[in-house]
Amino acid sequence: MSRLLGLVVAASLLASPLRGQDCLMARLRRQADSLLGSWREAQQLADVADSLELVRATAGSDTIAVGGLRIVVNPSPLPWRQAAELAWPVIDSLYGSAAEDLPQHPYIFRAVDPDTGEHRAVLHVGVEVPWDLDLRATSTVLLTTVTAPHVDPALADWLGAALRPTLRPQDERAVVFVLLVTAPSQAVRRCFLGDIARCKDVLQLGDSTGLLARWYVTPAEREALVTAAFTDYFARGATAPSLQRCRQHHDDACTALLQSLPQGTLPRPLPQAAGILLVREALRAGGRDAYRRLVARPSAPIAERLASAGGMDIDSLVGLWRSNVVAARPKPLTLPWWASFAAIGWTAFFGICALRSSRWRL
Amino acid sequence: MASVKRWVAVGLTACFVLALAYLPPRGAESSGKSPFVGQPLWGTPARQHAQALADGWRKVDATLRLLEDRQRVRRDSLRAGPTIVFHGATLPPNSVHNVETMIDSVWRDLGLGETKVRVTLVIELQRPYSSDTPTPLQDQVAYLAPDSTHRTTCLAYLPAGTYWTLVILGKRDARHEGFGRFEHWLQAGLGPCAFYAAYGTPGRPVESWLAARHWDVGLYLGSHGIAGERFSSLDLLGDPRSPWYWDGVYSFPPATVACLAGRPRGCRAAVLTGAAEERTIPIPNVVLVERRWWRVQHLLPGERYLGDIARTVGRDRFLSFWTSGQPVDTALALALKRPVGEWTADWERGFVRPIRLGPTPPLGGVAIALTIAVFAIVVVAGTASRRQIR
Repeated sequence: MSRLLGLVVAASLLASPLRGQDCLMARLRRQADSLLGSWREAQQLADVADSLELVRATAGSDTIAVGGLRIVVNPSPLPWRQAAELAWPVIDSLYGSAAEDLPQHPYIFRAVDPDTGEHRAVLHVGVEVPWDLDLRATSTVLLTTVTAPHVDPALADWLGAALRPTLRPQDERAVVFVLLVTAPSQAVRRCFLGDIARCKDVLQLGDSTGLLARWYVTPAEREALVTAAFTDYFARGATAPSLQRCRQHHDDACTALLQSLPQGTLPRPLPQAAGILLVREALRAGGRDAYRRLVARPSAPIAERLASAGGMDIDSLVGLWRSNVVAARPKPLTLPWWASFAAIGWTAFFGICALRSSRWRL
Repeated sequence: MASVKRWVAVGLTACFVLALAYLPPRGAESSGKSPFVGQPLWGTPARQHAQALADGWRKVDATLRLLEDRQRVRRDSLRAGPTIVFHGATLPPNSVHNVETMIDSVWRDLGLGETKVRVTLVIELQRPYSSDTPTPLQDQVAYLAPDSTHRTTCLAYLPAGTYWTLVILGKRDARHEGFGRFEHWLQAGLGPCAFYAAYGTPGRPVESWLAARHWDVGLYLGSHGIAGERFSSLDLLGDPRSPWYWDGVYSFPPATVACLAGRPRGCRAAVLTGAAEERTIPIPNVVLVERRWWRVQHLLPGERYLGDIARTVGRDRFLSFWTSGQPVDTALALALKRPVGEWTADWERGFVRPIRLGPTPPLGGVAIALTIAVFAIVVVAGTASRRQIR
């Protein structure tokens, strides 16, 4: 009898941690269920609160409608209407008929005191801007916050940056001109000299195989790319000896290192600004429906989409892009002949004034 | 003349004081004025409350899953390495075998064999989730440390995410030769469980210290970097020449920055953060590694700190520290046979050349300012000497 009792006591003692575990799990399950129920209720409340916040944020605000722009703003000295009148033609000229969709997405701005020490209510909806901006800066705010309609991932990847309207397209061409003449790449150089096939290569418009050899033609370019952009990446582990060899001007090592990069990470010899400008040229040439045609077939190759948007074959489009860039060569800064004499004259004048001042005692 | 000297001295002193007050600290860059006012877009309080509840649910859910797996999993007596459990999809036998082979190899690389504390890796594969529950823990790793009810089991809960799920299912090759290889991910995923397996349950002061700092100094037992080769959290700061490097440096606590500058007192403070706290270790003891753990470390690269100490001082001395009942600073100094700050400062120098702190005027600015100053002094002195009447 006592043996049986001992066995029962021992078994219950051994089982007690397991019972404790079961209790704990039951408690945790109840806690999880309770949290889940609370979360569902909180989600519904949050949806309601968000919609109320939207109403609250726009209460007492003015809605300014210019073309397809709908701007909801609080009262402030900011010249929103004039800015919208300046921005809308630029937006409309870029997106064309696709800009008709913009009224579905009104912009909510809140003008705030530019003093950064000023205590401000926490922002839940919209964008804050200081109320001391001038007309140009306010227009820039509108242009930089506009969302490009219907951009697909393939186009976004190729562009590498958002396609937004600009007030100064000529400046962009000048920037690309400088990129064309200063990029340390023979392929870019040949594009600048009029080789349209090379232009298509450096703009990544054609076949994507063997890009390394076409983008970075000479051993010096490949070595410069490895040592300038990927030293940290290749300096560790198995690639470190190859990096050393590459630095010692062994082209096979540089080429092997660059070929080992994951797909899509080889830097383009011509920065993104060039591609964005090409899209702008296509949209300018293609008329009001150009943007719609550009985004109509996301699965098509980029060259085909650009040609369709521009309403011309891709070679002509790239040729147009190149000739516009070359025509935008920045004007060198020239000083009038008398400027240096004037500068020296003023310096001498102030020096003489200082030396001819009245005498004084120490 | 004496009066001029006095004024020159006053002027120079004033310049020095102004320089001290106004020169920017090293790495600080003036940013161009943006038309947008810098205020992040917060969710409404109701949305934040919902998100907080979802976070709470995720933690309880992860704990529950770990406890269920601890009860359910039967270890394979034929294997010395960790037991692997997959959730979210049924894997073909060859995929399971591949992962087991890899984790066994990782286990051997860590110098581990048959251990008293057994490790189970619960790998949660990515799958579609319904919208009427929050998504389960996805970007945090959770560990269930041994406790009084299960003294010899440590579980790691690893959400695989999209990338590693595709790799495990054989739909994508982990092709990177450098960091980012699958075995590195597995090894890093062992986290604190690797320490439990290698050295058993720590003494109370050490366990409390590690819990207080979310195990940031014991996340990785391996001798390579946490993401392969020598890659560590320090590398995530980027190139010291890049503009965001100093932003990254100054985002850490002062002691961490001081340690990066090679100052032993800073290193000591960085290491002993949390050592003064007396924490009660809960049952179940679930360790949740911080999201973006590399941004909340108190020591860089802290993830390998204890692993490096263990390799440097040897198993016996490390065990004496690990299981010690003495305060952490005393136990650590005894194991290292050196003051904690000094040893850590030397260790830090093995990864990064000490950064220079303090104000840094731009070189061009200094040259121009000095030129103008010398020019002004010469002109004033010349004028004064011409004009004075003796």
